[in-house]
Amino acid sequence: MSVVLTAAQATFLQGPVSINVAATGGDGWPLVCRAQACTVARDRKSIHVLLSVRRARDVLDALDSGSVLACVFSRPATHATLQLKSQKHTRVAVTSSQRELALRSVHAFAHELAGLGYGEALAHGVVATMHASDLIAVRFIPEIIFDQTPGPDAGRVLAST
Amino acid sequence: MKPALESLRPCLDGAVPAVIATSDSDGVPNAAYVSQVHFVDTEHVALSYQFFSKTRANVIAHPYAQVQIIEPVSFRHFRLKLHYVRTETEGPLFEYMKAQLAGIAAKTGMDKVFRLRGADVYRVLDIESVDAHMSPASVTADTLLQLRRALDILGDDGDLAALADRALAALAQGFGIRHALLLMLDETGGALYTLASLGYADSGVGAEVMLGEGTIGVAARERIPIRINYRTGDYSYQAAIRAANTQEPSIRLPILSEPHSQIAVPLCHAGQLVGVLYAESEHDALFNHADEDALVVYGRHLTALMVRPATDGEVPENGLTQAANTAASMMDASAAPLVIRYFALDHSIFVDNDYLIKGVAGSILWTLLNEHVSNGRRDFCNRELRRDPRLPLPDFSDNLETRLILLQRRLAERCPAIALEKTGRGRFRLNVARPLQFAR
Repeated sequence: MSVVLTAAQATFLQGPVSINVAATGGDGWPLVCRAQACTVARDRKSIHVLLSVRRARDVLDALDSGSVLACVFSRPATHATLQLKSQKHTRVAVTSSQRELALRSVHAFAHELAGLGYGEALAHGVVATMHASDLIAVRFIPEIIFDQTPGPDAGRVLAST
Repeated sequence: MKPALESLRPCLDGAVPAVIATSDSDGVPNAAYVSQVHFVDTEHVALSYQFFSKTRANVIAHPYAQVQIIEPVSFRHFRLKLHYVRTETEGPLFEYMKAQLAGIAAKTGMDKVFRLRGADVYRVLDIESVDAHMSPASVTADTLLQLRRALDILGDDGDLAALADRALAALAQGFGIRHALLLMLDETGGALYTLASLGYADSGVGAEVMLGEGTIGVAARERIPIRINYRTGDYSYQAAIRAANTQEPSIRLPILSEPHSQIAVPLCHAGQLVGVLYAESEHDALFNHADEDALVVYGRHLTALMVRPATDGEVPENGLTQAANTAASMMDASAAPLVIRYFALDHSIFVDNDYLIKGVAGSILWTLLNEHVSNGRRDFCNRELRRDPRLPLPDFSDNLETRLILLQRRLAERCPAIALEKTGRGRFRLNVARPLQFAR
């Protein structure tokens, strides 16, 4: 059994969103890192998140050691937020099209922030900071999806296996 | 080298949301966005607790977390390893975070959603600079130089009235602040009154703010500086702003209707609240952590100058009597009389049916006018007023002088036919240009 994302959810995850991946290290410490971008498979059952190896080293090690993956996506313009969790994940190589996608996603996210009044300087900072040549993909199959948009419904389970 | 927590304060102003990772007792991670990571001291931060969430449940069960914070402009990331210590649901830290969260919520359109339930305090165990190869955001102002310049302008001489005016002028020239108020605690200890203002159409001298009301009142009640970086509908001064009618026994507080940045710094001496220094702006995030530091230092310096022992006890009383007897009258006896109405309940005074002043300042004016009408006196000294049983003066020494300044300024604005003129150290003259008529 696997969760199938709705078309709206798939669009949302691939939009101008902030993406962060969490895991639990072998010593029990929670760990977090920012991801560059994500792609959703055509059947909407699996997801690739693209990470900088340097930025995500501890999280990747924790995932390799068997930690559950938690991935939170939030769109700054609306605060709409989803969190997906998965025990089924694996590292895979990044394709050239995914590299191009990562670049486009970073620029789209920077543009989104600039449009919200964070300023052009921050947008430039986003692009400069998130430019990465050491990308790796983590493919995962979500088992549960939470609505984490701030408000009374935060934490509601939207879908699970 | 690991960065010091205090060097990360620009990341801790709520400009860019942080992310927190926690784990439950089975090791399942959870990631969530955090509106506010607040700098408590060099070893602690506090996170806003707004909802009973998975993060909250995890931290209670397994008190460890990693928080990723972001430097505005540069977008450099830092990760803090945290150990949960406690939650505060009242007191200075809670009130400061609540005020800042109100600004953050309004900026992000979440003012109906965000509500602070508690300030979760964490010890910072480790700091990781994720983007150590990146340059930090450029520093825009040398705050220490600004402080030095402001203190130079403030100086340390002159009387309290001149000091109060220079205190705000120095903010303008030193820090580029365009709108500011200096308020003093009144004799009840439950309200502050405006002694001087900068940058408003009406001076608002005499306008009151209750303790706990708005940014100024909360800063006074909690005795902590409060800084809000974005426009918020919370922390308004409804009662003070509403009082625009001259028939009402209150004075309108002359603040901006929608300030985007606010900072209120309590002025304390010997553990006691003396007043509040307040500044505001039409621009977002005008005041940063360094500005807050500088204004706290400036406020302490200003307070020390303001509470210096009064030097009004030097004049012999027989000299005063002579001065009273020889003072020339400026009265235009043919002019229409000023109708003075006094209400003993709150010592409020109305002149020709317009509200003028109340409280200690009202009581002083009523005493002076009665002395003038009964005995023809015009010259007075501070020392005799301190001893006058008709005046509800508390014990602390600066109160009389600040009340005389307030009264002098209020008269100059609202009733120039009556004026207080300083005639020497601790002495002043009452000038009355029109006949007085007391009404009950």
